[in-house]
Parts: sequence; C-alpha cells; structure tokens
Amino acid sequence: MNTKPFSPYVPRPVTLVEKTKLSDFVTRFTFEQDNGRPLAHKPGQFVNVSMYGIGEAPFSISSPPRRTQNTFEIAVRKIGAVTSALHELKPGAKVGIRGPYGSSFPVMKFVGKDILIVAGGLGYIPLRSLLFYQLRHRDEFNRMVLMVGTREPKERIFVDEIADLAKSGDVEVLETVDMPDETWKGNVGVITTLLPKAELDPANTYVAMVGPPIMYRFVIAECRKKGIASDQIFVSLERKMKCGLGKCGHCQINELNACIDGPVFCYTDIEAYQEAI
Amino acid sequence: MTTYTVYKEQLPGLFEKWSESYALYVPAKLREGFYDLVPWKRDLEIAWDFDVAYNSPKRFLFPPREALITFNRKTCEAEPVFEAPPQILFGVHPYDVKAINQLDQLLETGSPDQNYVRRRAATVVMGYEPLTVSPTAFWASVGAASAAHGYDLYWTKIGPAAFTVEVGSARGEELLSMCGPLVPSTAGDKEGARRAKARVLFKARHNGLRYNWEETPRLLSKSWDSPLWRRYSQMCLACGSCNLVCPTCYCFDIREEADDQLEEGVRYREWDGCMLESFAKVAGNHNFRPKAQDRYRHRYFRKGKYIYDKIGELGCVGCGRCVRACTAGIANPLKVFNELWEETAHEH
Ligand SMILES: Cc1cc2nc3c(=O)[nH]c(=O)nc-3n(C[C@H](O)[C@H](O)[C@H](O)COP(=O)(O)OP(=O)(O)OC[C@H]3O[C@@H](n4cnc5c(N)ncnc54)[C@H](O)[C@@H]3O)c2cc1C
Ligand code: SF4
Ligand code: SF4
Ligand code: FES
Repeated sequence: MNTKPFSPYVPRPVTLVEKTKLSDFVTRFTFEQDNGRPLAHKPGQFVNVSMYGIGEAPFSISSPPRRTQNTFEIAVRKIGAVTSALHELKPGAKVGIRGPYGSSFPVMKFVGKDILIVAGGLGYIPLRSLLFYQLRHRDEFNRMVLMVGTREPKERIFVDEIADLAKSGDVEVLETVDMPDETWKGNVGVITTLLPKAELDPANTYVAMVGPPIMYRFVIAECRKKGIASDQIFVSLERKMKCGLGKCGHCQINELNACIDGPVFCYTDIEAYQEAI
Repeated sequence: MTTYTVYKEQLPGLFEKWSESYALYVPAKLREGFYDLVPWKRDLEIAWDFDVAYNSPKRFLFPPREALITFNRKTCEAEPVFEAPPQILFGVHPYDVKAINQLDQLLETGSPDQNYVRRRAATVVMGYEPLTVSPTAFWASVGAASAAHGYDLYWTKIGPAAFTVEVGSARGEELLSMCGPLVPSTAGDKEGARRAKARVLFKARHNGLRYNWEETPRLLSKSWDSPLWRRYSQMCLACGSCNLVCPTCYCFDIREEADDQLEEGVRYREWDGCMLESFAKVAGNHNFRPKAQDRYRHRYFRKGKYIYDKIGELGCVGCGRCVRACTAGIANPLKVFNELWEETAHEH
C-alpha cells in the first residue's frame, strides 16, 4: 500500500454547494466535504480555509455539529485577500480546509441551566453553531437568551433567521444597533445596554460571548455586576492565526496559544492574562 | 558514558569519510571576529577557538524558508513536501545544543511538526566545548554551560592535537569508528577535558545574571508594568534582527507562491518575528500588540517566562547573538533581566 506521509499542513478538498449573501460584505458559504464524512466539529471551533494561490485563513464554523451530513457552513466578511477570493467562488468550486481546530463551548455545562448568548457584530457567526446545537436539544436547557448588537442596521446578518428565532418562543431575543437609521424601530445603544433589560438568575446563568475585541471588557463587567461568576462566562478570542497548530506564535495571548488553548476560554482561566481581554 | 580520545591527524580521514554521505558543516573564520559553521572542504582551516557562530544552528533544522505543501489550483489536491538532507553539524557549542533541545521539545510536542522532526532525525549534532567566550555571551549564568543530551558526539579539545569525544548515540559512535578502532580515553585525558571545561567556565564568568536564573519567571511576573519596557523599546527599529539570530526563536509566517499561468503552486513557511510591527496585526488593521513596548516586552516574557512555564528552562540560552545584532543597542536579555532585578531589589 502506498500511503502519503502525514503532514498537518495538507488541507483536504471541500466543494462549495451554496452561497448566500447576508449583507453588503458578509456571505454565508455551505461546503460539502469531498471525503463524504461529517466535519465532526464542536460549537466554537474553526477551520483554516485555503484559497490556493492566495492564502489560508481561519473561519469559525457557523453550522451546528452534524452527525449524518457532510456539509458545514462558514460566514465570511470580505476584508482582504483570502476573504475576497472566497467571495468570487461559484457553487461547484473547490477549496481546501484544515481542522476543525481549537477549543469549544462546554455545552454539557449548560445542561439544565439558563444560557445567555451575547453576539457583537460578526460574533453571531460562531455562536450560531452553539445556538442551533442547543436548540436541537432544546428540552435539555432552561432559558435561552440571545443578545445581538450591530453597529448599523445595514450591517445586520442572519436577519430573517433571528426574527424567526424570536417568533419561535424557544429563544428570547434582544437586539440593538449603535447607530440607527430611519428604518430602525428597535433598541439603540451598545450591546451592554441590553443586559439590564434581561432578568437573569445569576447563579444559574452561563454566558457565551463573541464580538469585537473592545466588547469583552464591558460585557464581562456588566455580567459580573449582575452577579454572574467568572467561571460561568465563556468567551471566544480571535487573534492573528497562521498554523492553527500551536507552533507559529502569531496567536499568542501571553503564554497561551489562541489556536489550541482557545479560541473559546473560560473567563476564570484568562482573567490574569494581561493580553487576553 | 563512553569517552574516546581522538587525535587531530585522524580528522581529515573522518571528515572525508563523513562527507561522502553527509553534508558536513564545521566552524571557520569568516573575517576577524566573525565565525560560522560552513561546508567542510579539504584544507579548510577549522576555527577551534571560535567564540560563537554568527548564525545559529536553527537554520539547519528549521530553514529560513521551507516548503510545506505543493498544490494544484484546479483539482485542489495538495501534497506534503519533506526535505531532510543527511547532515553533520560539527562544532556546536553546548548553549546551542541546549537551544536545539528546546526546539525539539517545543516543535515535537502537541501536533508534532513533521518537517522539523524529519530534518532533526537526519541531523547529526557534534557538540564542542568552547575555548573562548564571546564578549556578549552569558550562557554560563542561564543554565546553558553544558548539555546533558541532544548530541551524538561531544568533542573537547584537551591539547594542541588531542580531543576527548563523549558518545551520545550509537549513530555517533559508528561515525567515529569509520576510520579504524577507537581508543578509550585514559583517566588523564578525562581529567584534561574536565580542566578544559573549568577553564572556559572561568572565562564565562565575566558576564552574567546577578541572581539565580530560575528566579527569572518570578521576576517577570512582577515586572509587567515596569518603565523599563518603554525606556528601551523607544529606540527599537522593529527590524526583527534579534528574532532572526536567536537560536530559540522559531515563529513563522505561512505564504504561498503560484504563477497565474500555472496550476501548481507551493506553500511555504518563512521565519517571522514578534518584534516586527505586523506580527499580531489582523485584517482591518487591528493590532493586538500595537506599541513597540508591547512587542519588546513580549519577547522578554517569552524568553524569561512563557517558555520556562512550558519546559522548565529559560527560552534564552545566553548566546549573546541578539546583543550583537541589535543596531539600536537594546536587545539584551542579560541587561534587561539584571535591571529588572535591581528595580525589584527591595522586594527580594
Ligand atoms: C478563530 C477565528 C475565527 C474567525 N472566524 C471568522 C468568521 O467566522 N468570519 C469572518 O469573516 N472572519 C473570521 N475570522 C477572521 C478572518 O480569519 C480574517 O478576516 C481573515 O484571516 C482575513 O484574511 P484575508 O486574507 O482576507 O485578509 P488579509 O488582510 O489579506 O490577511 C492575510 C492573512 O493574515 C492573517 N489574518 C488577517 N486577519 C486575521 C484575523 N482577523 N484573524 C486571523 N488571521 C488573520 C490570515 O492568515 C490571512 O490569510 C476569524 C479569525 C479567527 C482567528
Ligand atoms: S535571546 Fe539573545 S542571547 Fe538569548 S538565546 Fe536568543 S539570541 Fe541568544
Ligand atoms: S534587533 Fe533591536 S532594534 Fe531590531 S527589533 Fe530587535 S530590539 Fe528592536
Ligand atoms: S496560529 Fe500558529 S500558534 Fe496559533
């Protein structure tokens, strides 16, 4: 038998099956693994996507784990070389992926508890994986609260999906925008202004949050003010990443590597690190 | 451990034999005060008294640029690339052996770096006891004066024409015996080696930490907010030279090259450095270490604390290469650690 020698840097091929525009700069991509197998990821993990000839970049897996299907989704903001090339792809095109990599949200800890999901900007993309995984097993969890904050109404993503969630009654949805326009009828203000609006039971509430770097400090402070303990708060910290294997050094947060020790961290474990939050 | 005595006149024969199946590198003088490991050729003069090799041995195990995969843009198929030429590094000082051991530990754990693992396996390390000490070196004070393992053979010059050779591996012993039977060292020769070591350790004492190196991580955990970081980093040119010359720095970038006209391309890694401005900068221009001070401090924390917390040794082996390479005169772990020690002296 002639097997290829193993290298963790070799991506495997996946095929684009669907592409959906979410906003001016963000698109959702549904891929199918050519090997026919499910991706077998956990909510919060990411894949490194290769646009051959251009480069490789990390993206959170946005779909919940699927045990029987070989499809998965990412949602990508067009901002540089790799992300722009991705936006040019047409269904049927192939790209390479490595992963899933990194740590995940500890879903089993949330069983029987209330969960508060705080999504700032593109943070909804990875949190969606957690949210829909929990919804698939809805009866195992107590209250589910989703807070979504966006800069401007036109930057909102997954608008219909979030509206459907609110209607379903399975999730309490609170939304806000920083800078409203004439179409916006909802809350105005940064995402922290939503926290006082939710009656939370601090002893029984777990928090999962993802957003721009600036968001964490303020949301964590609000949560702590409400009496939620540090070890009930989970954050996903994105850093520059290259290898995804804990080797290249780009993703370091003090001595931690965001790619293998994270991206999902329990706040207790990073509180002492100056470079974390 | 087995030790043999080898005479200078045996070396040409051994080198000749080895170079038939290995790329052989030996220390030579480049110009006054500058030495490096260079490819051996007949009649090359070996610089037995070199103080430090200008380039660190990491380049043999972790080249400045190394292909990782080749790919086909049409089919999206990718193949691993492995290169591991058999090579002998003759004349690696103990602090550099320590640095190699450190790379072994850090790159071979977790998800083992297959490219490194293969190059390392194909590399014979022949350690060599220094006779002189570079003016910027401080290895004796950071626990890097001797390496307990990591070499195939360890050479000590015990006289004008004689060496003791400690055997670190069967591969090493086999290489050494390629030109005939080996003579075990006498007690006197071993004593000669011990004295040679003592002599160089004495010379190395000119420069050193003012405290026990194992205190460094604790010292740093008290020094995050020290004014020192800003004071020195103000002068930093963000050139990354200190990263490049360091035998224990191994951070890398991943890039690729593909001709628009061609379907095939290659993805490779290239040395990168945490002192470069864009090292932690992401798309959209957010920089996780925006200030020179953030980057400067990170390098010393990595050398003095982060690596220690992982493997129990300092990430700096005290070779002094960065001290020499820094045009701004601020890359200097010895000075930084000593000054932090002074600053916190009232707490000791
Ligand atoms: C764990 C993780 C999850 C992410 N999830 C998403 C997601 O779901 N959706 C999304 O749109 N973006 C996500 N990002 C950010 C995304 O990786 C960057 O936008 C992307 O790398 C930009 O690549 P580019 O080639 O278009 O930009 P360029 O500026 O051309 O970047 C060149 C290279 O630098 C590196 N790089 C640049 N920015 C980043 C960054 N922010 N993070 C890591 N590496 C970077 C990459 O290796 C990239 O290929 C995530 C980042 C991380 C670390
Ligand atoms: S930090 Fe400087 S002195 Fe220490 S090992 Fe690296 S190059 Fe040598
Ligand atoms: S060599 Fe000196 S100037 Fe250059 S990055 Fe290092 S500390 Fe800064
Ligand atoms: S991405 Fe390379 S170490 Fe984390």
